[in-house]
Amino acid sequence: METDHRFDPLFQAHHDQIYRYCVRRLGRTDAEDATAEVFAVAWRRLDEMPEGDAGKAWLYGVAYRVVGNQYRSRRRRGSLSSRLTQTGDPAAAVAGPESAGEFETLYAAIDRLSANDRELLRLSSWDGLTRAEIAKVLGIRENAVDQRLHRARSRLKNRLDQLDTGSSRPEPKEASA
Amino acid sequence: MIDLLERADPARKIAADTSRLRAMVDERIGISAPLRPLTSRSRRPWLIAAAAFVAVLAAGIPTLLRQDSPSVFAPELEGIDDLPGVQAVVPLASGGLQAAAVDGDTIWVVTTLQNLLQRVSAESGDITATYPIPARVEGVVVGDGRVWLMSGDDGGQVLRFDPEIGAVDLTLPIGGLPGWAHWFGDSLWVSNDQGELLQISATGEIVSTRPGELKGGEGLGFLWVNDPETNLISSLDEDGTLGEIEIPTREGLDTMSGAGIRQVSEADGKLWLMDGDYPWGTNLSTFDPVTGELASFGGITFGLLDLTTFDGSLWLTSHTDHLLIEVDPESGQIRRYPMPGKVAGLLVADGSLWVTLYHPGAVLRIDPGAGLIQAADIVADDWNRFPHRLLCTGSDTAGGPTILLEPYDWLDYGSWSVIQAQLSSDGYLVCANGYVQGESTPEQRAADLDEALIETGVPGPYLLVATGDGVHSTRLFADGREDIAGVVLVDPMPVGYGDFLDSLLPGTEGKPPEQDLDPTVSASLEDLGGKPLVVIGQDPTAVFLSRQFIEGTGAEIAEAANGYWQDGLEFYAGLSTESDSTVATGTGLHMVIWDRPELVVKEVTNLAQSVSD
Repeated sequence: METDHRFDPLFQAHHDQIYRYCVRRLGRTDAEDATAEVFAVAWRRLDEMPEGDAGKAWLYGVAYRVVGNQYRSRRRRGSLSSRLTQTGDPAAAVAGPESAGEFETLYAAIDRLSANDRELLRLSSWDGLTRAEIAKVLGIRENAVDQRLHRARSRLKNRLDQLDTGSSRPEPKEASA
Repeated sequence: MIDLLERADPARKIAADTSRLRAMVDERIGISAPLRPLTSRSRRPWLIAAAAFVAVLAAGIPTLLRQDSPSVFAPELEGIDDLPGVQAVVPLASGGLQAAAVDGDTIWVVTTLQNLLQRVSAESGDITATYPIPARVEGVVVGDGRVWLMSGDDGGQVLRFDPEIGAVDLTLPIGGLPGWAHWFGDSLWVSNDQGELLQISATGEIVSTRPGELKGGEGLGFLWVNDPETNLISSLDEDGTLGEIEIPTREGLDTMSGAGIRQVSEADGKLWLMDGDYPWGTNLSTFDPVTGELASFGGITFGLLDLTTFDGSLWLTSHTDHLLIEVDPESGQIRRYPMPGKVAGLLVADGSLWVTLYHPGAVLRIDPGAGLIQAADIVADDWNRFPHRLLCTGSDTAGGPTILLEPYDWLDYGSWSVIQAQLSSDGYLVCANGYVQGESTPEQRAADLDEALIETGVPGPYLLVATGDGVHSTRLFADGREDIAGVVLVDPMPVGYGDFLDSLLPGTEGKPPEQDLDPTVSASLEDLGGKPLVVIGQDPTAVFLSRQFIEGTGAEIAEAANGYWQDGLEFYAGLSTESDSTVATGTGLHMVIWDRPELVVKEVTNLAQSVSD
């Protein structure tokens, strides 16, 4: 089947990045499927893709959604038939035993962050998106990206400190009446 | 720590298998190719409106057209004109509405499927003439007593239609696919996709060509032109002078999508700007010409499509939420009104506000002061900026079950609007769960609804109402739950129907999206036990065994399709020991919920009352 003249360059330019994006969030098992789904959605909605550099952020926006759907699908499958359970951040599994060992504490700390914090840190440090691109992907203002990144890094540092000192104190919770 | 984080990237040494990945993408594209819309406005929800309709399309039903008919394949819109606030309903030709424009007390509409131009009297609500147009038309503008039609055919052209002779008398290439167009001063102004803005005289001559994109209608006495490079919005006066007022929207307004301003209107002495695009949502902003201040009003909902001013309020349509939205420009108060179909645009004619429905193709005359049904729009979760919305009407103090209307794929809210409005008057809390994306699986949709109900606290017990492929997520949602008071399935789609349709009609462009349920999952679900169940089936003689269907597909395929569907209805009726089945007679090729809404209302009301007693 003939594809749109805009689609082939889009795939060539970004398929590797999007694949790694999916690997970081879903692990290797599901990453190919998710990546293929990202480009299938992109193909269907190619008319809506902004021209130029904004197209990259748009593509990551699609990936963000597809991966999110995968998360939710996993949760649903788990609740329906207990066939699948979520086991935290897939980074350690993806990295392999050697690397995972080196960064074990870091991965554990990341796993203790909120989903929003994790996503911001990944987009910034692993996916290499600019502040403006992150803003587009998450649908927030650029200034908000700065603030949230700053807070996410602070919280990551706190989690690392807790793990380094062996603190197992649970996270504070709101007091109930 | 940032350095540590970057070094810890678990995928830094991983590369994609390009050829394998490309093969997987191609496989998906091959499956999905026919569904890809040509433009965002030319989506074809009618392709999936009913399985029968799909097959008829494949068989070339347009050959049955008649010229100058008052109403060509007009959809049945029973119940819509009974809705509070809806003064008149003008059903248009099947295939939906593409564009509309007003000339005094005349509304000109263009339909999608058959390229028909229809003339509607705003005073009487009658279609007074129907003309076939020799091109696919995407936009319509009225000026100098003529109707100007924008078409993407042959690389982009404008057709001038003369109402006096009832025919196109001029075709003018415009150097690119048409975008926004507007009659302003004594000229037609039209953008093309090459970033050009053309000024065309009434005689059909291109007076000027300049860079820029037109953005919607008039405001503050100007047209508004966007520079796509800078997102600078500039005023354009009737003489063609550009730039008396400039609004730096990229610097002054961080538009959510980066796609820039889409449309403008004037209200309360300010220019209102609507930005955004899929999948980042839409925002409203205001520009005060006195102070020069550009301010964000904030997001309202997804899929804002049109914007106009009427009776002091700002009015918007949302094609994803099927809503007419009113914004009080002074107080900022927002009111949401569910519309009975897929909303397209807004018109002001004969002193009234008119809403055009893309599907079912219709134009509605609205009286906002006559008690339009209002809805509370509860956002359950802004996960991924795709909120799961519950559009709630009625009262939660009536004591009956909460009626949950499951959307039929991307027809979402609008597919239930008529039924929801009528059920609301009985006092039950009625919610339609809205989805923005069309790719959700039944599992995701069931999970969405579950989460949305928890987060919003919408009380049970629940009476579930589903139609089409919505039955799949409804079954998943009901699986193992104790708070299900009953279930009404309206012409439910059998499990495996997508594959079955493929086998019947290989290569058919009108293939419905893959919203099917895995047969093994279907078999693993708990039945409804003794919970009350009503199955409303389609009338075979009106759909699969209708003359149109048989002529379109052949008797063998029609029989096979009908047999599969009827088996499915029987299967669903067997899900409960307390089930009742009924046939919706007198339907057409559309969905039961559109053709026989009163039957659905009756069955749901009866069941709600029986479980309340």
